[in-house]
Amino acid sequence: DSHIQYERVGADVTMKCGSMDWDAAVTWTANGTDIDESHLNGSYLILKNVDLSQSGQYSCYEGSSWHLKYQTSLRVGTPPKEPVLMCRSNNYPKGFYCSWHLPTPTYIPNSFNISVIHGTKDMVCEKDAVPKNRCHIRYLQLFSTVKYKVTLTVTNPLGKNFTTLTFDEFAIVKPDPPESVVAKPVPNNPRRLEVSWQNPSSWPDPDSFPLKFFLRYRPLILDQWQHVELSDGTSHTITDAYAGKEYIIQVAAKDNDIGTWSDWSVAVHATPWTEEPKHLTTEAQITETTSASTSSFMAPPTTKICDKGAVVGSGAMAVCWTAGLVVAAYSVLFI
Amino acid sequence: GDSWGIFTFLCAALCNLPALPALNCSEELGAGQSIQQTYDLTRYLEHQLRTLAGTYLNYLGPPFNEPDFNPPRLARAERVPSATVDLDLWRGLTDNARLAANYRAYSRLLCYLRVLDGQVGTAELRHRLAHFCASLQGLVLSIGGVMSSLGYPLPAGPAGPPTPPGAPAAPNDFLKKMDDFWLLKELQTWLWRSAKDFNRLKKKVPPAVVTLRLEARGF
Repeated sequence: DSHIQYERVGADVTMKCGSMDWDAAVTWTANGTDIDESHLNGSYLILKNVDLSQSGQYSCYEGSSWHLKYQTSLRVGTPPKEPVLMCRSNNYPKGFYCSWHLPTPTYIPNSFNISVIHGTKDMVCEKDAVPKNRCHIRYLQLFSTVKYKVTLTVTNPLGKNFTTLTFDEFAIVKPDPPESVVAKPVPNNPRRLEVSWQNPSSWPDPDSFPLKFFLRYRPLILDQWQHVELSDGTSHTITDAYAGKEYIIQVAAKDNDIGTWSDWSVAVHATPWTEEPKHLTTEAQITETTSASTSSFMAPPTTKICDKGAVVGSGAMAVCWTAGLVVAAYSVLFI
Repeated sequence: GDSWGIFTFLCAALCNLPALPALNCSEELGAGQSIQQTYDLTRYLEHQLRTLAGTYLNYLGPPFNEPDFNPPRLARAERVPSATVDLDLWRGLTDNARLAANYRAYSRLLCYLRVLDGQVGTAELRHRLAHFCASLQGLVLSIGGVMSSLGYPLPAGPAGPPTPPGAPAAPNDFLKKMDDFWLLKELQTWLWRSAKDFNRLKKKVPPAVVTLRLEARGF
């Protein structure tokens, strides 16, 4: 008959050929391949300091008759390390979920058992089908002063381990990031970007449990973010964008009063509105003499060139704008 | 942020404490702005409580000041009003019931805190507690103001410090400290709950009232 045998990495394994005597003549195979006699001690198979590659099917045959006397599946693995457990309420006040994983693989099957205690009450954490290693709990009571204690035990044939989390209802509130973040340029406004977003769909009751938001934005070419905190509303107009520069924008959410900030939303890109250049090709020669190389980045002076007593006719204006744009393009090259 | 909270608290304090002659202020306050002020007050108090609780729990010493300290609720602790409530019940509370629950809770918590104030050891703690009690008094009055402006009667209750009926003073030092621990915990939870209570109430008051008041004050 067939067995399964679990052994630790680095262990010395002795396999007996079923009920055969020690001095019986036998042949061992590993995954169908004969094993050299040097690994045998009588009819026992000795594997020293086993490693993962030695997992497999081991069979023992009587010497002459080639009868199969014993078969076992060797699985080499490790006992579980302390699991990593995380609990979070992204749907306050409905409830919370806990998810877990092992920091390193054990290479053998593990089973998880989670227990949730609230004061003296045992609560059932319902396992989710997807993703695995996750379960959720519905709050029966709100505004509780008693902490929740969650214990996760992981067991496999080589050992067990556990970890515990203790927390207040309010401490684990963390919404999902805002959704559908959209950033658009504003026509005729070269320094504005209009950003809008929606509450995360997992947040069940934004009327009674309003969210506040944190917006961050920067031009792609700079490292430093600018931040705006917004206590209500799901839109904001950036008014200090550098003209003509592509921006990266993200939004995060938090319950107005409790818990922590969500992760950042998916990043969106947008460039503020710029006027269409009209005589771009003919101005290339003019700008070669007027381009200024600056090592630090400055907001391109789109109107400065043209301010000094220029007669404003539509043709002259077009020239000024395009000159400004091309200078801007050149100064970017020098960064 | 914080400075706004402090500002509105000062306004509420000046306008609501009966001792001060600022009657014009309280007459003008519509329900909308009162609710917003009360909300801001709870946030301010919650912030204050964090510092106060930290200092007080350190004064009590271990295990009370350990972050994982999670003692079972003893029966004697039940006399402190609990913010815990069934979710559907909380949702279904009428405005009157919601406000009354807050009013009653903070009135009693205030009384217990004042008793604490009389017993506590260090001068720093006594100073902090006194300051907190004054702010909490402002909150109770602010809630009362909202109830009055909405036409609800104020809940009748113990006017002065309660002699807790039937509950004896703590038989030993450790149990006394447990009482203090739970008092602070309930206070903290109530302040978190009140923020949510007043969020719900905010929705009920027409926004026009709020903007009108803000413009009149030149904000």
